[in-house]
Amino acid sequence: MLASYTIDGFENIKYQGFGKLKFIENRLSELYERYGYCQVEPPTFENYDFYYDRQDVDRNELFKLISSTGKVLALKPDATLPVARMAAINHHDPQEIIKFSYQTNIYKDFSSPSAKKETTQAGIEYFGGAGPACEAEIIALAMMSLLLFGIKDFKIDLGHVGFITSLLDKLYLDGEEQAEILGYIENKNLGDLENFIAAKKIPQPYADIIMELPRLYGSPKKVLERMRSISVSPRMEAVVGRLENIYDYLKDLGLEEYLSFDIGFTNRMNYYTGTIFKGYITGLGEPVISGGRYDGLSATFGIDRPACGFSMDLIGLLDYLNQNALLPESEVPKFILLYDEKNRKEAFKICEALRKDRSAEMFLNAPGIVEKILKNPHYKGSQIVRLGETSCEIVERGDWS
Amino acid sequence: MSIRFALAKGRVANQVIDVFEKLGYVFPDYSKDSRKLVFTDKTGEISFFLVKSPDVPVYVEKGTADVGIVGRDILLEHPADVYELLNLDIGKCRMCVAAYPETSFNYDTKIVVASKYPKIAQDYFNGLDQPTEMIYLGGSVELAPVLGLADCIVDIVETGNTLKENGLVVKDVLFDISSRLIVNKVSLKTKEGLLELIEKFEKI
Repeated sequence: MLASYTIDGFENIKYQGFGKLKFIENRLSELYERYGYCQVEPPTFENYDFYYDRQDVDRNELFKLISSTGKVLALKPDATLPVARMAAINHHDPQEIIKFSYQTNIYKDFSSPSAKKETTQAGIEYFGGAGPACEAEIIALAMMSLLLFGIKDFKIDLGHVGFITSLLDKLYLDGEEQAEILGYIENKNLGDLENFIAAKKIPQPYADIIMELPRLYGSPKKVLERMRSISVSPRMEAVVGRLENIYDYLKDLGLEEYLSFDIGFTNRMNYYTGTIFKGYITGLGEPVISGGRYDGLSATFGIDRPACGFSMDLIGLLDYLNQNALLPESEVPKFILLYDEKNRKEAFKICEALRKDRSAEMFLNAPGIVEKILKNPHYKGSQIVRLGETSCEIVERGDWS
Repeated sequence: MSIRFALAKGRVANQVIDVFEKLGYVFPDYSKDSRKLVFTDKTGEISFFLVKSPDVPVYVEKGTADVGIVGRDILLEHPADVYELLNLDIGKCRMCVAAYPETSFNYDTKIVVASKYPKIAQDYFNGLDQPTEMIYLGGSVELAPVLGLADCIVDIVETGNTLKENGLVVKDVLFDISSRLIVNKVSLKTKEGLLELIEKFEKI
């Protein structure tokens, strides 16, 4: 039965999880609204041609389908791209400040049979601001999104792709070699990185600086100091200044304890152009938040505007909150009334009155009905009352009475 | 919270356990014949479990294990989103193409390749523009040419004794292999004491 109707990588969210997911979504959209972010809903389908030449989305990972007119469509693999397009279509002034928030499903990883293919994301995007204060606001909101639910054991890990790319620009590597070296830096693969540097005869001081990059992570102050000591160009120094600026902003908010740095993040397979960050919760194996600055993306939609934002994996967050009992149990008391056809009218009245502060359900009194209800886990803890001709009989007291 | 290691069953695991002992960690429950699945050291600081090698990157990527020790061959065949922090000096061998000495490769005819590493093997022959038919085998790959299932094999070679005993020779070396210490991307940033432990590993 299950085998023929289940598709790998898709989840059924049942009533237990659904209410909690809605609770999370409501709290988040309230937070974002208070900071001036308007909620938008990007469409499900995207034009497949759009992904044809992009380096930041792997076309093999997309789900494609053909419309009735023969056009190839894709289910959106990412929310930032369509939200940036929505901003470009409706707002033509590149300097206009636009703040959007969204909660939507994305579809990717279709090349892997077992990977999760449909995930629910929430996020915010800030268009029209180029200064470090914009990223700092985004990062602060990412932190607040977790603090909101009582999560304290987390880190927002911040990097900047400019530090590495300004170094690589001096080395004249071709596209394939760049992808290879970025992969080694990203995965902190020091062994292969060393072999690569030796094989490509990368000159000093660049060789030493590149070997240092994967180790540049940890507490912001320590990393900033190390970065300053190995910077060899004004562009690298500018990156240090920008990261310091963001650190100071978060310090003024009292949020600096949740910030850490990692200069090993690269722009391989993503659209980030400047700062880039991920959010980690201790004990959760995969990052729940990812974001950064993507100034080049909007230009592909005809409006060249600075932008930054983040997205958060809501299913991952929901699982974590459930495991750690951080969500309020908001169940209402359940009441069940067993009635006969003769007193149905009265039963309606009783239930209607009770629905002010609890759920009230009615079942026709028939042999075996009580056993049937008691067997159903959904009705666990319900109060069950049998309505007689002249009196009521309490069958089960329930948890609430 | 203790730091959890996933180790690939076999010779390399024993070498790693020796390293643990050198670093002063004692596992009172552990013996080669033990049926226990997870072993914790006396102080409770670290624990490890043994799994089949292709499962090591899976456990580490998902964060069930903080650290894994597994051969580079496995990481190339089953790529995972993990940090490959250290290149360890154990588990050294080479990825090779092996066949009978008289077997020759003709680029205009298809050859049958048996391997535990179909992805690595396919990438290699694609690079040579050699048409192939790939057969995946779970073990004892040397049997394939001996019994006529395949023309050649792609497999790891350590001493070459198994090949020699079966009359096979190494036709080409794809790359060198050693064990890698891989780390979950979240654990590295959030687990206390993990970095210090890895630094100790680096020194040995």
